[in-house]
Amino acid sequence: MTDVVAILANGFIYGSIYGLVAIGMTLIYGTLRILDMSQGSMVMAGSYVGWWALAEHGVNALVALVLAFIVTFILGTATELVSVQPLINRAKEVDLEMVTFITTFAVAILITNLALQHFGPFQKNVPVIVSGHVELVKGVTISYHELTMAGISIVLMGSLGLFLARTRWGLAVRAVAQDLDAARSMGVPVTRLYPLTMGLASALAGVGGVFLGGLYFASPTAGDQPLLFALIVVVLGGLGSLTGTIYAAYLVGLIQAFTEVRYGTTWTLTILYAAILAILLVRPYGLKGSPSEARL
Amino acid sequence: MIGGLGSLTAGRWLLIGLGVLIAAVFPLVYTNPYYMTIIVTAEIILILNISWNFILGMAGVWNFGQLAIYALGAYGSGYIMLHYTSVPVAIAIVLGGVLSAGISFLLAIPTLRLFGIYTSLLTFSFAQVVQYTALNDPHLGFSDEGLTGGSFGYPAVPGLFPDYGQEAYLRAYYWVCLGVIIASCFAVAWLRQSHLGYALRSARDAPAYTAARGVDLRAARVAAFVLSGFLAGVAGALYLSFNQSFTTSQMGLTPMSIDVTMLVIGGLGTVTGPIIGTAIVTAIQTKLINYPGWTLTVLGAALLVIVIFVPGGFVGLFSRVNRRISTWVSEGDEPPPGDPEPDQRLVA
Amino acid sequence: MSDLLLDVRGLRAGYDRAVVIHDLDLAVEPAKTAVVIGPNGHGKTTMLRAIAGLLQPWAGEVTLDGRRVDGEPAERIAGLGVVHVMQGDGLFAGMTVEENLLMGSFLGSSWRGRREALRRVYQALPLVEEKRAQKARTLSGGERRLVGLGRGMMRPARLMLIDEPSLGLAPVAIEAVYAALADLRKESEAAVLLIEENFTHVGGIADVVHVLEAGAIIRSGSYAELSTDETIVQTYLGALPEAGR
Repeated sequence: MTDVVAILANGFIYGSIYGLVAIGMTLIYGTLRILDMSQGSMVMAGSYVGWWALAEHGVNALVALVLAFIVTFILGTATELVSVQPLINRAKEVDLEMVTFITTFAVAILITNLALQHFGPFQKNVPVIVSGHVELVKGVTISYHELTMAGISIVLMGSLGLFLARTRWGLAVRAVAQDLDAARSMGVPVTRLYPLTMGLASALAGVGGVFLGGLYFASPTAGDQPLLFALIVVVLGGLGSLTGTIYAAYLVGLIQAFTEVRYGTTWTLTILYAAILAILLVRPYGLKGSPSEARL
Repeated sequence: MIGGLGSLTAGRWLLIGLGVLIAAVFPLVYTNPYYMTIIVTAEIILILNISWNFILGMAGVWNFGQLAIYALGAYGSGYIMLHYTSVPVAIAIVLGGVLSAGISFLLAIPTLRLFGIYTSLLTFSFAQVVQYTALNDPHLGFSDEGLTGGSFGYPAVPGLFPDYGQEAYLRAYYWVCLGVIIASCFAVAWLRQSHLGYALRSARDAPAYTAARGVDLRAARVAAFVLSGFLAGVAGALYLSFNQSFTTSQMGLTPMSIDVTMLVIGGLGTVTGPIIGTAIVTAIQTKLINYPGWTLTVLGAALLVIVIFVPGGFVGLFSRVNRRISTWVSEGDEPPPGDPEPDQRLVA
Repeated sequence: MSDLLLDVRGLRAGYDRAVVIHDLDLAVEPAKTAVVIGPNGHGKTTMLRAIAGLLQPWAGEVTLDGRRVDGEPAERIAGLGVVHVMQGDGLFAGMTVEENLLMGSFLGSSWRGRREALRRVYQALPLVEEKRAQKARTLSGGERRLVGLGRGMMRPARLMLIDEPSLGLAPVAIEAVYAALADLRKESEAAVLLIEENFTHVGGIADVVHVLEAGAIIRSGSYAELSTDETIVQTYLGALPEAGR
């Protein structure tokens, strides 16, 4: 019984934060048809902003989150302008999907190592957003920090959904994902939309980074693990499918919680990647994806 | 340089012969043990890069599991060196290659159904499983140190030249690796203009058309996996036997990014690209050894700039400049006819 | 010159290395409907895409209301009041009918009037209103075409480019589409450049008809003139009894 509660509670918390980090990758893949390998370093950048704002300057938690959003939004926009935009009009000579896999990866290497130089290799403690915890049943406690993290992640994912469904620019993002030429002839300025989309996706990861920093630490490699998990989630959900991503995030969260409770933390990634291997063997385009569909 | 062996002119052969001769005589003249160790390690990485370049650049299969294949070669040969001491070490190294070839074969089969980014995700996932399993291996309880040594690294193995002094040891490994490099370069150059090479390149550039012409893409792809897997396994086995250690971090994200940078800077899909790329990146690494954060910052920036502005890497740049000069010399104002050198694209 | 809304001169365009249209001259007067007919594969859609900016012209000039627009990106040309109803409707398949319509008024100035525009479109095309909550990919071909037209009516246009509204539709659906087009002509001040494979349907709306073959305009004239021309009738009105087929 205790185990079941622990698995469900932790699965819910992990799932929410993975969803937040991975949904940005899905948004980018859905619109630009590229896999953004710099998403992990945006988490890392977010956790450093959290450390800087909360630990160094003692600002309000909400301000820290907004600050992380803004900083990583700018960083993501810049990443697009540097690593994707120059290649977009050269679709005939290069395979955009694969080349941007490398260029966004290169940006991730750059950001990680700039952080290493600037902040040093040592972990920095990021204060939690809210202190205290609650005991669900005997032996299973959840911190308020984790609950806030899950809550804000869900709110942000919901807001993204509303943004895409209701607003002018949200509709434009989906339109570009579904039919680029038609979107352009509606007057959508694609060259501005792409960097903004990547900025938005990065900002979500950045906010996630503030929370993950409070859960673990801020360090130059703090983005590696979230990137690996986000990759698992987006493949499982079918690249480009938003609802698929959210289901997959909670599934991955539950699997992680289950393996941690039953077998210990060391086996989580092995098991998850083995699951991905198995899924790709049976369903070459992920659980929900198909080669032509899965466009936001 | 670009074409197959048959297209090499006498001048080129002379140049290659001269280069090989200089490379072979080099350790007799130069003996600084610190730099010789770096050079031999770079040679081993070059062997790995040649194998990766073959599958990634020439066959156009976006395989990101090569470092795991390389590690499995190391572990496989290490197991033989450690537990079957009667088997000569050279044989153990070859067997490491055979093991890697076999696992590459198994990895090739599921990728036949996949395209583009999904191939890289599957192979990347495979590499992650291998890495984390190796890391957790001591917990599996096969034996005290496990099959891989986990995060502590592989136990010391006999190696090829256990009785040599330092200078002779480095020199001997230098020559062994040089031999493997020369043999694999010629093998790759020959394969490029073989039936298999044409099948692979046309599969890379126009898969549907190639399949429609009755070329068996699957067989070609599997063959590419097996050949490159064998070479990667040999590289891993050489690394273990030379350095007397192998840790799971050898297949982490950092070595992967460095190797990708080497390939892209040199020029993906060319015979000489890996040599140039490995040399340049090793030189940068050695120069910046005292500024740890800077190495990868510089390499990351270089990777970005090269991919965007110099898609063919240095080899592509050289041959473009070369072509422009010869065009200028022959005073033709028309660009050379035909295909604008398929190898200068990352992939079609 | 200034009395022409659209003036195309010496237009040359194509895909990769293949030239599809060359030395094409075409003019559209304000508030008039020009119809270009021609066989499939002779460059009609390519011409529209080049005018709309979805395809970079290789040579020639495209002037809209006295302003050079060739080489400008599609989104800029759209901003100048060009509405492009694309071949096969170009609907956003995963979006609902209403979301598709709303995208029609994406441009800043028209977004504010989107509610009003929606009402007008629903009034003109009641069938579209019925389907407003349905995903575009679930619609029939005729319904999709009507939604495409409705989306084109969502913002004020100076020039509408309409690509083969009858393509692939059943006769009943074609009638419905052309009825909607005729209504649109009455209400709108915009000039229209419409392309079709033949002129079976365009008699009611065409002010001038051009014939495009092998990438260039080979004949121009009023509907009445061209529809009595022996050779053209033989080629493009093959369905009539006197053509014998």
